[in-house]
Amino acid sequence: MSIDIDGMDIVRRTLVALEAAGADKAAASFSRGEQSELNVDAGRMSLYRTTVNVSLGLTAHVETRKGSISLNKYDDESIRVAAIEAVSMARSSEPDPANDISPARPLESFSAGPELPDDAAMYSRLKEFVGYAAERYPDTRLEQCILDFGQGRSYYANSNGAEFTERSGSYSFSAMFTTKDGTKASSFNYSGASHRNLDTALKDWASVDALMKQSTEQTSVGSIEGNFSGDVIITPDCLGDFISFIDGVYISDYSLITGTSPWKDKLGTPVTSPLFTLRSQPNGPGIEVGYSYTGDGFRAENCPIIEAGILRNFTLGLYGSNKTGKPRCPSGGGAPVVDAGDTPFQDMVKSVKRGLLLARFSGGSPSDNGDFSGVAKNSYLIENGTIVRPVGETMIAGNIGKLFREIRAVSRERVDYGSAVFPWVLAGGVSISGK
Amino acid sequence: MRYTDIRRHAGLFGEYTELRVQENRSARISVLNGDIVGNASGSQSGVSARAFKDGVWGFASSPESDDTAIGACIGRATANARFLASVEGHGSSVLPSRPGSSVRDLSTAKPRLSRKDLIDFVRDLDAYINNRYPHLVSRSVSLSQLDMEKSALTADGSDAYSLIPRSLVAISLTVDAKGEPIDLYDVFGGRGHFEDNFGEPSLLYPAIDALAERLSHKAGGVYARPGTRDVILDPDLAGILAHEAIGHTVEADLVLGGSVAADYMNKTVASPLITLVDFANTAMGATCPVPVWTDDEGIEARDAVLIDQGVLRSYMHNKETAARFGVEPTGNARAFGFYDEPLVRMRNTAILPGVSKLTDMIASVDDGYYFLRSSNGQADSTSEFMFGVVMGYEIKGGKLGSAVHDCTISGVAFDMLKTVTMVSDDMSWTAAGMCGKKQSIPVGMGGPAVKCRINVGGRA
Repeated sequence: MSIDIDGMDIVRRTLVALEAAGADKAAASFSRGEQSELNVDAGRMSLYRTTVNVSLGLTAHVETRKGSISLNKYDDESIRVAAIEAVSMARSSEPDPANDISPARPLESFSAGPELPDDAAMYSRLKEFVGYAAERYPDTRLEQCILDFGQGRSYYANSNGAEFTERSGSYSFSAMFTTKDGTKASSFNYSGASHRNLDTALKDWASVDALMKQSTEQTSVGSIEGNFSGDVIITPDCLGDFISFIDGVYISDYSLITGTSPWKDKLGTPVTSPLFTLRSQPNGPGIEVGYSYTGDGFRAENCPIIEAGILRNFTLGLYGSNKTGKPRCPSGGGAPVVDAGDTPFQDMVKSVKRGLLLARFSGGSPSDNGDFSGVAKNSYLIENGTIVRPVGETMIAGNIGKLFREIRAVSRERVDYGSAVFPWVLAGGVSISGK
Repeated sequence: MRYTDIRRHAGLFGEYTELRVQENRSARISVLNGDIVGNASGSQSGVSARAFKDGVWGFASSPESDDTAIGACIGRATANARFLASVEGHGSSVLPSRPGSSVRDLSTAKPRLSRKDLIDFVRDLDAYINNRYPHLVSRSVSLSQLDMEKSALTADGSDAYSLIPRSLVAISLTVDAKGEPIDLYDVFGGRGHFEDNFGEPSLLYPAIDALAERLSHKAGGVYARPGTRDVILDPDLAGILAHEAIGHTVEADLVLGGSVAADYMNKTVASPLITLVDFANTAMGATCPVPVWTDDEGIEARDAVLIDQGVLRSYMHNKETAARFGVEPTGNARAFGFYDEPLVRMRNTAILPGVSKLTDMIASVDDGYYFLRSSNGQADSTSEFMFGVVMGYEIKGGKLGSAVHDCTISGVAFDMLKTVTMVSDDMSWTAAGMCGKKQSIPVGMGGPAVKCRINVGGRA
């Protein structure tokens, strides 16, 4: 388990093996990750887990045919055999001119975060959190909490001459909990974040403490009366799901290649409320734990996805871009940041006549046309500008595109998840139904 | 390839220890609108060790599996357990034991097909769809395979080996309906290598035709009306009902974490028509979709009868939860990759068949829905579940009416199950499921058609 591995040498040797096997173009990636993890289960610290893994990825292009292999071995014989197999797979495939690799780029190296975990601080912080939760929220059970440190080194090279190396170390924490009051239980809820250090108490990461407090209020819930079309204030914890729906239905490779995206011809035109701006910022500054290069071998560059309601970029990769003739996403599409608005959260609540504070969405995958429906979990009824009570067995339905067009306010306040930053968003026109 | 003579490492165990050498091999071929957009294979192999001391665990894994790496792995897992025990030890080091020693290799005995053969199979299906249904706005066909091969040794004497393959073909079709894309998919295959699950591509043509016909119904469909409705859940949905609505709620680790099922043991939680079993490996004389003979803690796996004629009778256990509840372990500890620790996981969770006929069940509904296919689902500590429905029909006056657009259905399981009034006399398994719970892992789900009242999330 030596850590003295020259990953750049491995990917370069892999390229040589792929070309020797008959590849016309080739790409190779290698990563080595170490993880140190402490787990809390059912309120008790239960597991100390340390793992090591490596991954070698080989992609062979024969003319415009493509084949890919991944394995977690990197000795010379494994590389040679995998290269022959990748080329054989490519030869078995069909021509597709959209298959390609990124252009030449001199070696760039990136490094961020600590190289080794502070084991003592990890234990101390988690112990502190378990104690805090037990004292502050005695009826709340920590179903599972995971604090881990991950340190990875990754290397990329292709036969055009593009090369990258990256080292990244960060801590991640997630807490999942439920509150019991006699025989009554709240819905589980969870939050978490990733950061480069452990300077802050875990209860203050993302919305962990706020959601634990809310959990204590949610052991007695009732459904709403009847069905109505109303407003929803989507919390930062929930907004991430809806951002991923936007990506999947409207702007990513699959929906654009198939042509089913309702926004396929909307680049440069309004697609959402002008109050909404979504950026992809893998290089920060709003993102603490980002990334430096994309999976298809490009330097990751920050870019707007939707700016003041205007669609500025799809999240297409190289293949999707070549296939559709639409521009590749310079950022790779990750590290989402939604700009803060100018409305205080409390003013958003005051502006709602009847609707929900939507804290968690448990729903089916949206349809290709953007229709969604699901259960409003850990959520609250808002009436006449006041948060009235937590709700249960309450369902919502709507259309993702329409929802974002009907955004009426974006909060000043935001929650920082380390790899994403989201505000509260108020939108109307959602179908809300009780039992 | 089987890792032999794993027993020679037993001398390195310092505490109660589990040692697992594992390889997962995967392959995927995806064709989207005629283009091969995915042509990949992968392998992840290595070793893990897990040690137990004073009520806490230490775990370590390595991608190397030579003797040196295995020794280092066992040493690190032991050190991790001892460190955590020194600061957090809170219990006994004794765990229940029922060592399994199964050797099961479910590999095909047929000659393996080449990558070219598999690509030709997928392209044949794609060509059939394109020729027969040229009006579709998109079509995708993907083939995926996963082999999970494990050799495991435990300090209490289990020494087991398994190779469980799974192969699936997923087909998704999209049609334009008045300017909006409407899609529907289906998945075929299950346990076993591709050569055992699939023959000539033409054998799937009738299933593709049925999928296309249902898609045409859905394209002309209506939105479901929100509210609590009488519904018939087809066996496909009964399987996910068994998994999401009940199964997760009675996983013993989640019971300890706050699930409401903690208060319901030996109480009536469902109609007496409902009997729910998490099968270990064999159900009604046939091997299950995800068979487990010896679990990843070395326990000889047994069926867990969770609900017997409406009464909650058991949770699903690993060694540790069984010890805490003072019961026998059920053999539900499973890990996905070599780098994963075993968790309490479902295996093959199914509602048992009843006596009703599906046609009679539909005829008994005056105003409701017949739901046939699900997408994703989610459980909750309250037993409130939801799952997405991607194919269904209205029922009016006991007859099927218009198809409905995608919707979500939900309910509180231990309330909703008491509304079950009919259970069909047939049963089918879904063998394509992946369950997410820290790790994602294959599961089997099954059941008959069920008549119940359930919340439908539609358009007001």
